Amino acid sequence: MKLNQLILTAIVGAQFALPLFAADSEATNSTGAAQSESPALTAGGTAASAAETEEIEDLKREIQALDQKVQNLEKQHQSQQQAIIATNQEQIQELDQKVRVLSRQHELDQETAEAAAKLQPRFKLDSSGFLFTSADTNFSIGLHGLVQLDSRTYLGNNNVANSGFLLRRARPIIVGTVFHDFDYNLTPDFGGGTVQIVDAYINYHYDPQLQLEAGKFKPPVGLEALQSDANLYLNERSLVTDLVPNRDVGLELHGDLFGGAISYAAAIMDGAPDYSSTTVNTNLDSDLAYYGRIFVQPWITSDVDLLRGLGFGVGGSYEDASGVNGLTAGYTTDGQQRFFTYTPAAGTTIANGQHWRLSPQSYYYYGPLGLMGEYAISDQNVRNGAATANLQNTAWEVQGGWVLTGEDASYNGVTPRHPFKPLSGGWGAWQVVGRYEQLNVDSAAFPTFASSAASASAARAWSAGLNWYLNRNIRFDASYSHTTFSGYTGPSPAVPAKGEDVFFTRIQLAF
Amino acid sequence: MKILLTILLASSLSAVAGAKEIKLLNVSYDPTRELYQEYNAAFAKYWKAKTGDDVVISQSHGGSGKQAQSVINGLEADVVTLALAYDIDAISQQARLLPADWQKRLPDNSTPYTSTIVFLVRKGNPKHIRDWDDVVKPGVSVVVPNPKTSGGARWAYLAAYAYALETYGHDEAKAKAFITRLYRNVPILDSGARGSTITFAQRGIGDVLLAWENEAHLALKEFGADKFEIITPPLSILAEPPVAVVDKVAKRHGNTEVAKAYLEYLYSDDGQEIAAKNFYRPRNPAIAEKYAANFTQLKLVTVDQEFGGWAKAQATHFADGGVFDQIYQP
Repeated sequence: MKLNQLILTAIVGAQFALPLFAADSEATNSTGAAQSESPALTAGGTAASAAETEEIEDLKREIQALDQKVQNLEKQHQSQQQAIIATNQEQIQELDQKVRVLSRQHELDQETAEAAAKLQPRFKLDSSGFLFTSADTNFSIGLHGLVQLDSRTYLGNNNVANSGFLLRRARPIIVGTVFHDFDYNLTPDFGGGTVQIVDAYINYHYDPQLQLEAGKFKPPVGLEALQSDANLYLNERSLVTDLVPNRDVGLELHGDLFGGAISYAAAIMDGAPDYSSTTVNTNLDSDLAYYGRIFVQPWITSDVDLLRGLGFGVGGSYEDASGVNGLTAGYTTDGQQRFFTYTPAAGTTIANGQHWRLSPQSYYYYGPLGLMGEYAISDQNVRNGAATANLQNTAWEVQGGWVLTGEDASYNGVTPRHPFKPLSGGWGAWQVVGRYEQLNVDSAAFPTFASSAASASAARAWSAGLNWYLNRNIRFDASYSHTTFSGYTGPSPAVPAKGEDVFFTRIQLAF
Repeated sequence: MKILLTILLASSLSAVAGAKEIKLLNVSYDPTRELYQEYNAAFAKYWKAKTGDDVVISQSHGGSGKQAQSVINGLEADVVTLALAYDIDAISQQARLLPADWQKRLPDNSTPYTSTIVFLVRKGNPKHIRDWDDVVKPGVSVVVPNPKTSGGARWAYLAAYAYALETYGHDEAKAKAFITRLYRNVPILDSGARGSTITFAQRGIGDVLLAWENEAHLALKEFGADKFEIITPPLSILAEPPVAVVDKVAKRHGNTEVAKAYLEYLYSDDGQEIAAKNFYRPRNPAIAEKYAANFTQLKLVTVDQEFGGWAKAQATHFADGGVFDQIYQP
């Protein structure tokens, strides 16, 4: 029973009970009189009974009125409560909608922020260098660099070069992409005492399988020549690289087929003499050179670990070369001393037409083991006055390395598993390397086209070294190279007389 | 040696030429995802049968205005299928990627299908929304996208405005007051029609969604007819979403022929059937008759009749400082 009903019942009960109680009391008190005045009382009793009845009826009506009031009050209370509930529900719904709207607005704001973020250019800086890319990746510019500080110490007294330090290479390398499909590379070199543009090209990569490159870059011939300067085993490339071109200017169609299992390149360029330490930016004659190379890595995408790193191929070139600039300026040793030039005792030797090269090549990488072998023929027609000849110079080399700390060797260098941080136990990667190489000048070159008093007819060299990769960017190298010559009849102590012994060191920054 | 190199070069080129694949990008507006998914498959089949070539069509969707801006900014669309002609005009005028008279190149002003704006309300229609007057009543929460970015939102705005003009004897002041009341009831503006559908149907916001007719039907299909119902007002607007080849891009991609065919196929019986099945009103009378049950009849006014064309409507209502900027208070 509700509280108000209890109170009402109590009130009504009291109202009803008290008069009865009073009437009962009066009746009790008057009993004696009634007993003594009974006839008169009978008439009076009837009157009293009528009055009581009327009073009871009044009370009943009063009760009904009160009951009605209570019911009205209850109805009023209920409707008020319902109104309050309805108001509350409306307020809750309103609040619910507001929360939903705010939540959705937050969601939309996030979407807007994410969309805006996608339109912002991206910046990346890590061990691979600096890269700034447009939001849609259609445009990018990156900065890489290569700095090599070498020392060469010529042992003995039979060398013509000075021992000392040299800035072998100092190259800021600017790379990037425009309109998604066009890559570019601009690489000047401030090392070596002269400033020159080493690479400057645009590469249209319509598809990995079909790319067109235009500008100045390495012609596709020699395996070691095509390897990045930062990833060579030893400070200087081998004698084989003396017989292939360094850089040239022109067009190249190239691509990788079957996931890189076959790489091909075919180029039409100005033409370049056998490897020279400097590069040219214009054609030295009116004839163009044709280059081609195919390199196969049959298991590159397979699960056969043992064979995945095996690659082999062949590169070559053909051109008509003429004039003195069509001939090499000379072949140099590991210590970068010239041991052969087309310098005859009398007259001048010049290029005289056909010049072709052929270079079978191979490498093999398996775990810490790295091997590379290459053979090169440089076949060239020469002339000195009325005398002409077809000379075929050849060279070969084999080199190998073993990463003592267990990292994988590769054509693209070594990445230390634990970069140099002595306090944390990181000592970088250590690698031992060695090489044997040989170059033979066609014996028909002497004496008409070259002089044995100025040049050796062959050079053989071996090298051994230790490379320390502190991290992906810093590398220390130390190596020793010993070269012997034959066919030289000139006076001592010129270079080829007794051979060359050089101790190299290198501190390299590459990113 | 020369011969060897020539052979190497020629064989490389021929090997790559044989691997050609046709890729087409259709940049469209928000609610056409399902339409073009179905249509693209049909067209690819048709094109394969006709030419033997495989064509892979990519779709891009978003608010029509935003999509047009993306194309202007360099998104390489071979074709655009946007919500209204003004957006394609903008591509023509600002980026010069197609001629100014692009709309004359295909039938029906390059509009292979039409649509209109209807009301999507919650099941039982608790706010008793039957006509535009009900939408502007106090206490009615209306969900509609932003006319600055969404084509559908511009159509919805103009439908309401056209109703007010018709109702108040083309009294611009009263029409402006009407549209002000409408946007006073809008708690949130999405950037596109699909976003507004999510707001209304998934996030439970609002009493009524002013939606493309096809989008409303899709919402019923997607979220359940037991949750929502479509109310078609007695008067709305004839929405004409046009299509066009983006000439310079298609030419650059070597896709001109296939891009033209792609749009022309929209007018074929197959294309019209697919449009009708996706609740776009087909132009082809026979197909329209076949699917008449899908489309409630109503009075449809046009932008040309009521607003003097899209250029004028855009300048008056949606350009910076236009009527919408004046009446909308976020």
